[in-house]
Amino acid sequence: MLTCIRGGRVIDPAQRRDAVGDVWIDDDRIVQAPAAGARADAVHDASGMVVMAGAIDIHSHIAGANVNTARLLLPEWRRGAAPRSELTPLSSAGWTTRQTGRDYAAMGFTTVVEPAIAPHQALHAHLELADVPIIDKAILCVLGNDDYLLRSMRDKASAAHISEYVAWTLQTTRALGVKVINAGAAAAFKANVRSFSLDDVVPGYGVSSRSIVKTLQRAVIDLGLPHPLHVHCNNLGLAAGADSVIATIEAAEGLPLHLAHIQFYAYGVEGEKRFSSAAARLAESVNAHKNITVDVGQVMFGQTVTISSDVTRQFSAIGRASPKKWAIIDGDSNGGGIVPYNYRATDFHNAVQWAAGLELFLLIDDPSRVFFTTDHPNGAPYTAYPDLFALLMDRDRRAEWIAKLPPAAMAMSTLPSIRREYTYPEIAVMTRASPARLLGLSDRGHLAAGARADVAVYAEQPDKAAMFRNAAFVFKDGDLVVRDGRILHHRSGRALSIDRKIDHAIERRMRDYYEETYGLEPDLLKVRASALGVADPFEAVSCSR
Amino acid sequence: MSQSSINGRAAPLDAAIAEAAGLIGKSRLTVVAGLGADVAGAQAAIALCERIGGVVDHMSSTALLRDLDVLRESGMMLTTPGEARTRGDVVLLVGDGLVESGLLEAMPDLRTRALTPPAAEGALRRIFRLGADEADMRALAGAATDSVWKIETISSDAASLPGSLAALRARVNGRPIALSGARSGEIDALAAALRSAKFGVAVWSAARLDVLTIEMLCGLVRDLNAKTRFTGLPLAPGDNAAGVLQVCGGMTGFPMRTGFGSGVPEHDGWVFDAERLVESGEADCALWISAYGAEAPRWRKPIPLIALTAAAAEFSRPPTVRIAVGRPGVDHDSVDYCVAMGTLVSKAASHPSQTPSVAAVIGRLVVALGDDAGAASC
Repeated sequence: MLTCIRGGRVIDPAQRRDAVGDVWIDDDRIVQAPAAGARADAVHDASGMVVMAGAIDIHSHIAGANVNTARLLLPEWRRGAAPRSELTPLSSAGWTTRQTGRDYAAMGFTTVVEPAIAPHQALHAHLELADVPIIDKAILCVLGNDDYLLRSMRDKASAAHISEYVAWTLQTTRALGVKVINAGAAAAFKANVRSFSLDDVVPGYGVSSRSIVKTLQRAVIDLGLPHPLHVHCNNLGLAAGADSVIATIEAAEGLPLHLAHIQFYAYGVEGEKRFSSAAARLAESVNAHKNITVDVGQVMFGQTVTISSDVTRQFSAIGRASPKKWAIIDGDSNGGGIVPYNYRATDFHNAVQWAAGLELFLLIDDPSRVFFTTDHPNGAPYTAYPDLFALLMDRDRRAEWIAKLPPAAMAMSTLPSIRREYTYPEIAVMTRASPARLLGLSDRGHLAAGARADVAVYAEQPDKAAMFRNAAFVFKDGDLVVRDGRILHHRSGRALSIDRKIDHAIERRMRDYYEETYGLEPDLLKVRASALGVADPFEAVSCSR
Repeated sequence: MSQSSINGRAAPLDAAIAEAAGLIGKSRLTVVAGLGADVAGAQAAIALCERIGGVVDHMSSTALLRDLDVLRESGMMLTTPGEARTRGDVVLLVGDGLVESGLLEAMPDLRTRALTPPAAEGALRRIFRLGADEADMRALAGAATDSVWKIETISSDAASLPGSLAALRARVNGRPIALSGARSGEIDALAAALRSAKFGVAVWSAARLDVLTIEMLCGLVRDLNAKTRFTGLPLAPGDNAAGVLQVCGGMTGFPMRTGFGSGVPEHDGWVFDAERLVESGEADCALWISAYGAEAPRWRKPIPLIALTAAAAEFSRPPTVRIAVGRPGVDHDSVDYCVAMGTLVSKAASHPSQTPSVAAVIGRLVVALGDDAGAASC
């Protein structure tokens, strides 16, 4: 079937295209405009609209055991019927699997990465993701607090052995990449260590946080995984957290590394309250290190729930839980913590956090190295993205907010002085072209012939938040799934996962390890297509080696 | 034995499905209960429930909701069976009936497993029993000569358990208690032992404790973390209750005892208790699922009953429609909650058979219901 999206402003930075024109789709792929005289089976008028590839979210906690614990912890947030829902906190957060797919699709998103799945929770996460309609998705598996890796490092295992273990984990969990969360801290927390920095050592294993990050970074590079090691640094949320990020950037030694939600570290100790924005300093470091990519983890004001596998940090936050309840889990590797939290515009610290996030967006020069996350739902639910894009594109809108926030907090940030506004092409780089590149998804994030026909069309209007909240049209694999922000029908998305052969030696070793440690076969944990209840649930992504 | 029947008489599967669809179609409120099903079965049952505006419950919801009530009213520190077995240097067993509640399924080698060296090299695991009964004593006995563990009993019967826990929590926090003499000494010694744990684990079964006792225990665990590390391991009820809970949470945002009558899921542990709905007459049809064992519903009121159970299940009255289903992981491949791992795992069928799965039967039921049953929501 031949479809033509006619006469929109086509913004496709990967092809350096920004002009009014047509986009043609044949079945599930973008194609060249056919020769004159060819007739489209369907024509969609996009005049006055902006046409982009489907958006890609690289970091959003949408599935798995920790997310589900948050659902069960907070039943009051889903109470009541739909007409009341806008008044209910987090009602817009896409709380169920199905609502997640619908909400993302309505905003023009077609691929979302759940970035924090412990290996033993992978089957659970994939089962939920298989129930998320329309969009494609992927998981990053979390290593770096797991006994097997730490033991192997303690016993001076070879880099090749560790690479094979990482490959085995990716294959068993059907993950797209590897994340490390406060490397070593969750293991140390089990031995009653309450704070953990880059050169601290995990008791009982004798390995430092730095060595864990570097070991995993090397394994990811040696395996040729498209996505660099995804790092959640030490000391999240603490004043002077910026030092931890800068130390990690330096530890990368010029090799690719992705640093997650760095807003949560962008703090210094200036001012009366000894809490200030250190975003400018952090942005300077990111600008100077071209091997580094970051996502922001923007805070937006309102009620949310923090869901993190950084169990050390989450335990330290239970006293600030709002409402006052929480779950802290010492898991087989990272575990996690679920702590509800309300970001208030009247709160000094929360206002500094809000400003620091925006500063990072606006002070990092290259929009292809900074990603737009809110670390859903930790800084805000993903449904806040349209408001975030509007803030980046409109300094007057920022000024209105700044005027409403505590002046003492704004004095701790450079935000009021920043005039930069994101352009549409910059938004398209940040939300489409560079996420696809960062994840190694060559047929996404752009509109060249041969690309997957994931397309989002937005009716241009002065209120950019309204514009991005409800896409005029969204095509997933060439199938029109959204019109005027309304879902037309559901379809199954797929999970993107690394496809790489693993050798028999590591399978044998892992079988022995699981037998000895758990008395169980590791095969129980393997994520098999046949277990997910949908046809053809995976799409293979290749390694470069 | 016949695989399906209508009013106690053998009937072909198609006829049984058609009869079941007819019962659901004409009912005002159908409860989908028992729900002893694997993940695929639970997904199908919940989707059916949404479609027919029914109520979804599980035979172990009462116990499950006790733990959940503590979680969602105050907070909880939790761990996995694997961490408890390999790192737990102090294990506090609370309440009776723990073996019956699956203690040895969750921690099969509790009595023989040495602690993993990084946790506590050479240390002896100390197991304390607060309120454990004779059956537990017998099941745990016989290993007293093992070099890896040592068991100590603090006397406390069911009636005095909440008071003992409260006293223990007070002493852990250095507050005075009203007990005296030997009893006070016993509590003090236990409080000191818990405080000296490196990675302590409290184990309980919500089937045997009330909500306030569980809350006191979880508060004790939290308080111990002021100085040392301590965490909790609630034993999951059987019949894949914990797996069904995960499915229900993802699909609806809620645990079981959730109703779809208003068009959106609503959760209330009392309103949507299947047994109460049947006994009160609010529900006029029940779909009962018990694929793991052969449990029959506990309610007494006779209402049209569609039973999806093992062929061996015995009912005091024959169900209106009865369809034999396969046992997950035995007759067909399954995904369900593994109590030894504390997570969902996939199992290949150990004895593959033609007996249909819960998901397959419900799939056919949905087809038989056609388009006009309830409001399908997208």
